[in-house]
Amino acid sequence: MPAPALLSIERLTVRVPEKERIGGGDGDLTLVEDLTLQIRAGERVALVGESGSGKSITARAILRLDPHLTLGGSIDWDGRELIGAPHHVLRGIRGAEISMIFQDPMTALNPVLTIGEQVAEPLLVRGVSKKEAYRRAAEMLDRLRVPKAKERLRAYPGQFSGGMRQRVVMAAALIAQPRLLIADEPTTALDVRVQEQVLDILEEQSRELNLAVLFITHDLAIVAGLAQSVAVMFRGRLVEQQPVDDLFAHPQHPYTRGLIGSVPRLDADPGVRLKTVADYLKEGSAA
Amino acid sequence: MSAEAEQRIQATAPAAPVVEPVVEPGITVGVAFEPAAPVPTWTAAIGTGIARPIRRVFHRHTPFLDKTAFVLVGLLVLLAIVGLFYRPYDPFNVDTRIALLPPSAAHLLGTDDVGRDVLSRILAGAGLTLLSAAAIVLIAAIIGVLVASVSTLLPRWADEVIMRACDIFMSIPSLVLALGLAAALGPSLTSIIVAMVAASWPSTARLTRGILRETMTTSFVESAQILGVSRVRLMLRHVLPNSLDAIYVQASMEISGTIVMISGLAFLGVGAPPPSPDWGSMIAAGQQYITTAWWISLFPGLAITIGAIAFGLVGDAVRTFVDPASRRS
Repeated sequence: MPAPALLSIERLTVRVPEKERIGGGDGDLTLVEDLTLQIRAGERVALVGESGSGKSITARAILRLDPHLTLGGSIDWDGRELIGAPHHVLRGIRGAEISMIFQDPMTALNPVLTIGEQVAEPLLVRGVSKKEAYRRAAEMLDRLRVPKAKERLRAYPGQFSGGMRQRVVMAAALIAQPRLLIADEPTTALDVRVQEQVLDILEEQSRELNLAVLFITHDLAIVAGLAQSVAVMFRGRLVEQQPVDDLFAHPQHPYTRGLIGSVPRLDADPGVRLKTVADYLKEGSAA
Repeated sequence: MSAEAEQRIQATAPAAPVVEPVVEPGITVGVAFEPAAPVPTWTAAIGTGIARPIRRVFHRHTPFLDKTAFVLVGLLVLLAIVGLFYRPYDPFNVDTRIALLPPSAAHLLGTDDVGRDVLSRILAGAGLTLLSAAAIVLIAAIIGVLVASVSTLLPRWADEVIMRACDIFMSIPSLVLALGLAAALGPSLTSIIVAMVAASWPSTARLTRGILRETMTTSFVESAQILGVSRVRLMLRHVLPNSLDAIYVQASMEISGTIVMISGLAFLGVGAPPPSPDWGSMIAAGQQYITTAWWISLFPGLAITIGAIAFGLVGDAVRTFVDPASRRS
C-alpha cells in the first residue's frame, strides 16, 4: 500500500542564469533536468551518481539554498509548493520539517559557540525556553550516543573528534523533529569505522522517528546497507530509480551497471583489468 | 561476590586495564575526554588555547621589536593616565618671565613662548590625543561594521549601492575630507573626531563587508541557515563573531595613522582652540621659534612619532598574532 508522498519533486530543472555563469558562456547552464522523485514518510532514498552529476544541487534545491539558481518544475512538500515560496515560509520549514547535514563535520559547526548552543539553536529560534531547549539538546545528544551528553553541552566543537562532531551536527538537525533529513555525503570525510557508527545512528533514528532520509552519496556499499530505494543520477538527469535489491540485481541503465561493475571486488580474477564506467557506457551505446 | 570484595580486588590488581575496549558502537576507543579532570602538563602545551596567547606576547616567541612596541604603548598609556592627575606645572599658566627657557632640571623639556612647561603640556595632551584617537577608531569601526552587516544581509543591488557610496567617500583624500568637515564644524576636538570618523568609516565598511561575505559562505553558516535561523540572528551569532579578527587588526593598525591625522589637523588649526595642549597645535605654536627654541616643537613632535610608531608596531604584532601566516620574515 503506497503511502502518499511526503516530498514530491516533479520535472525539476535547475539552471544557472547566463549572467551568473562563472567565466561567461552563452545561455543558461542546465545543471539538473527533468528530475522526478518521490519520498514517502519514513522512507530512506539514496541519490547516487558521480561528482558533478547534480545530486547535491538537487538536494540543495529542495531547501532553496542557492538563491541565484533558477528552478523550474515543482517541489511539493506535504501539499506546499517550495519553488517560489517566500523566505519566511522556507525558514519555518528549514530545520523543523526538512533538515540537512553536510559532508564535512569539521567545518559544519560554529567554532565560537558551545555544542549546547548549537544543538539547541533550532529550538531557540522557534521560541522554546532556554532551559527546555538545553534539556532537549542533552536528550538528543544522548540518543545519538554522545557519552556524557549533559556535561558536553558546555564544550566547544574544537574539543570534539570528527565522528562526535557529525553526531552533534545530526543532533542539531534532528532536534526540531523534522520529517525529512537530507544527508549530503555525511560520511565522506570520516574514516570507515566512524562511518559505520554514523550510518547506524542514522538508520536507527530513521526507524524510531519515522524520519525520511534522502541520502546523497557515491559509495554504493553505503547505499546497499541503508537505503530502501535508489535513484541514480547521471549528467543532471535521473537515469534510474529502483528498490535497492532490484537495482543491485538488475541494473537497467548502462551507467548504473558501470557504477556497480567498477567497484573492485576481492573475489575478482586478478588477471582481468577492472572495467571503468566509461567502458560500460560504450557497451551500452553499442548494444 | 560482594561489591566491596570486587572493589578490593580491583584496587589490588596490579595490571588493571586502564584503557577500556569499545563498549558499544558509537563510543570511540580510549578514555573519554574529561574536561573537569586535571590535564597533564604536557597536553596543556599542545591543547589548551588560553594560556598560549599571553605567552606568545610576552615570552621568547615574541620578536624583540614587538616587545618594545608593547612596552612603548604601555608607557604612553601610563603617561596619559598620569597626565590626568599629575603634571609638574600648570600646563595653562602663562608666565612671560620664564618664557623660552631651554631644558633644565626645573623644566625638563623647557618652556614655551609664554612660559608654559612643555613637559606638563605634553602630559596633559597625551590623554587628549590617545583618547580621541581611540574614540575615532572605535566609532569608525562600529559604524563600519554596522554598515557592512546591513549591506551583507540586503539583496545584491542594495549592497551594490551602499558599497559604491563607500567608494565615493573613499575617493576623497581623507585628510582633505576631514579638514573640510572640521573647518565647517568650527575648531574643536569634537569636530576633529566627527570629521575623522566620517573620513575613516567607509574603508572599515568595505573591508568588513568583504570578510563578512566570505564568512557567509562557510559551511557552519549555511548549516545554521538550514536550521531555520533568521538573517539577523545569523549575522549576530554566527557571522560576526567569526569575522572580528580582521577587524581588530584593522582597528589596531589604524590607531597610529589616526594619531598622526589628529595632530596634523590640530597643527593646521582646526583642532581645539589655542590654550589646549594638543600635540599638533604645540608644534604649530613652536614653529616660529624653531631655530632659537627648538624644544617647543621637537618634544611634542617626538611624542607623536613615538606614539605612531609604537601603535603601528602593535597593530602589526596583533596581525601576526591573529594570522601567523603573515609573519614578517
